[in-house]
Amino acid sequence: MATRKGLGIGSMYYGIGYGFSRADIGSAEIEMAEDGTTTVYSGACDMGQGVMTVVTQVAAEELGIEPDQIRVVAADTGSTPDAGPTSGSRATFVQGVAVQNAAQELRGQILDMASRMLECPKENLHVRRGEVCETGTDRPLVSVGKVAHQLHFHGRRAAAWGWHDNTTQDVDPETSQGDAYATYGWATQLAEVEVDTETGRIRLTKLVSATDAGKAINPVAVEGQIEGGATMGLGYALYEQHILENGVPRTASLAFYLVPTSMDVPDIECEIVEVPDPRGPFGAKGVAEPATIPTTPAILNAIYDAIGIRITETPITPERVFFAIQEARARGEFEED
Amino acid sequence: MSEDTSPETTGAYHWIGKNVTKPDALEKALGATEYVGDMVVPGMLHAKILWAGAPHGVIRNIDTKDAARVPGVAAVLTASDVPGTNRYGLAVPDQRALADDKVRSAGDALALVAAEDEEAAEEAVAKIKVDLEPLRPILTYEDALDPMAPAIHEGGNVFQHTTVRKGDLEKGIEESDVIVENAYHTHRMDHVPMEPEAGLAYVDPSGVLNILVGTQYPYRDRRQIAPALDLAMNKVRVIQAPIGGGFGRKDDITAEIHVGLLALKTRRPVRLVYTREESLIANTKRHPMAMNFRTGARKDGLLTFLDGDIYGDTGAGVSLGAYVIKKAGIHATGPYDVPNIRVDTYTLYTNNLVSGAMRGFGVMQAAVAHESQMDQLAHRLGMSPLEFRIKNCLKPGLASSTGQLMNEGCGIEATLQRIKDYMSAHDLRFNRPHA
Repeated sequence: MATRKGLGIGSMYYGIGYGFSRADIGSAEIEMAEDGTTTVYSGACDMGQGVMTVVTQVAAEELGIEPDQIRVVAADTGSTPDAGPTSGSRATFVQGVAVQNAAQELRGQILDMASRMLECPKENLHVRRGEVCETGTDRPLVSVGKVAHQLHFHGRRAAAWGWHDNTTQDVDPETSQGDAYATYGWATQLAEVEVDTETGRIRLTKLVSATDAGKAINPVAVEGQIEGGATMGLGYALYEQHILENGVPRTASLAFYLVPTSMDVPDIECEIVEVPDPRGPFGAKGVAEPATIPTTPAILNAIYDAIGIRITETPITPERVFFAIQEARARGEFEED
Repeated sequence: MSEDTSPETTGAYHWIGKNVTKPDALEKALGATEYVGDMVVPGMLHAKILWAGAPHGVIRNIDTKDAARVPGVAAVLTASDVPGTNRYGLAVPDQRALADDKVRSAGDALALVAAEDEEAAEEAVAKIKVDLEPLRPILTYEDALDPMAPAIHEGGNVFQHTTVRKGDLEKGIEESDVIVENAYHTHRMDHVPMEPEAGLAYVDPSGVLNILVGTQYPYRDRRQIAPALDLAMNKVRVIQAPIGGGFGRKDDITAEIHVGLLALKTRRPVRLVYTREESLIANTKRHPMAMNFRTGARKDGLLTFLDGDIYGDTGAGVSLGAYVIKKAGIHATGPYDVPNIRVDTYTLYTNNLVSGAMRGFGVMQAAVAHESQMDQLAHRLGMSPLEFRIKNCLKPGLASSTGQLMNEGCGIEATLQRIKDYMSAHDLRFNRPHA
């Protein structure tokens, strides 16, 4: 077996959210019960990536309570407000701010009531670990549950609504000039491949993904996005092709439509880059799509680095590489061992 | 004045940046999560769909008499049974819940069956007779661009043409010391979420149609379901069920209208769970694209221009294709400062499967082209591909292809630098350009 190794990089930028004057909104309600436990009614769908966990952390940070005191009710037209879709790598960036706004509003209500209860200026109070504390000394004065109870007792719900509008105007119809997106995601990946010059088979042997999360609210969840994204990118590069013949699917089964398995996925190094974005919650932005886009170009460039042949058509099947090598040989352009 | 000790300044957050465990992680790891396919409610019927299987044709007749006689069958429905507009679609309502006049792609749904069990539903689907008069299918970019070809929808097969214009292209070409020109082709990809499309619908005692579905956006589902089935929007409730991935395809309507219609007609709960094979045939895929790119740079390594055309096959429905392909166009430069640009994009109807949103949304395809161009320019200039990118990447104060000024949140240089640091720490080197 004759194999050659190569290294390649791929970079990308990706407009976060919807652009094109499409509604790009987030909204949430947040309610504290008389025992201090809190419910976030968040319209954003959790796809498994963890936006429920992200909004829990945002609410816990803003309210000064523990995440295990928070329950999230998500994505139900009967009980949650409209928070737009979970797509465009926008859920953390947009819904995170909506929940932050709701939590700040609720914190204000709690501090107002605590100030009345304690006869102490609001400015001297803050919430920490579920207790309203004296600023400076961190001395606990009253639990948030007792304050919430007083709010309910006075006919107030200890509840707040928060929203965020991330909508951007469409670009110019003739030139596409304009501020297309509120912000952009950024990523670069490094791929190491092994090319079998006899069969054309490509193996991805290493992948390093440097993905800008702005601020990783939950680093393990970001790593999940990075590893999942790279694996999906690997599938796009090498395996997953849905073939139609005269418009009729010929790969309508996983026996013919190949997805990567654990045997195909190399070590993926997650390099979380944090360039804070002031428009996101605590500087955060989405990583879902930035984590998958650079993989295929990085592999294409690594193949060139290995064998000096430029593949311009995806997926990069063994046949395609094999014939490209044969053609290069026929032209006398293939660098023989 | 006291010292500023706010977390924004000190980074001393309590919960931000911490690995809080996802609340659903344990039950998912244990296999205990109930997805729609696991849900069973009393009196529930099972739904099956008859798919077109052919790309283009006039529907002359759909005969459901034999199917309706299969024991256990509660309903066999075609387009004429749909009480509302029967239409949906994210950019324009060009898709039918059930095909009426024509079949426009092999993934079109022709008829629905609800039965006491899946076997009866499958048997009934097999007994539906379709009289389809085949039409010439439009399958390639060339066919779709041909003004003489038959139109798949009213208005022709070029759904959208967008243009990116910046600077002075001719000047950019003149200033170039090297120019690289290539044609790139990317393919159709399926999202293959672990959980195929699924929905469970029931009409509750107050007359509200409830739909549990693995969706990415219940409110937009409601906006689309209500008119398609002629319901008031406040008589539709959409609840996101635990979802086994979506990756963009569940942005669209999937099972919602079909299960909703069957529940309305039978007044019983109805569950629809696609097989993997059905999931591969129906709903949206990643857009195949053809991209012709010409890119230039000067001897000093600065980019001069991009001249490009992007053709996207959106299949028999636009779905989000118009936005996917427009986004590909404005991201065609990649994250670099390119002063002179001409890019045209074309969103094309074909009789292939519908293309829609998929993780990467047009930029997945554009990056195949712009990153291949970047490496070739670097090699022609004898520069390291990494240094060439660092030299040209967007930085605060520079403008994107749309003229948008970059600010403090511009992180591309930081990601390139991180890879550079990684390579030097691990003693990794490119083979090319040869020293």
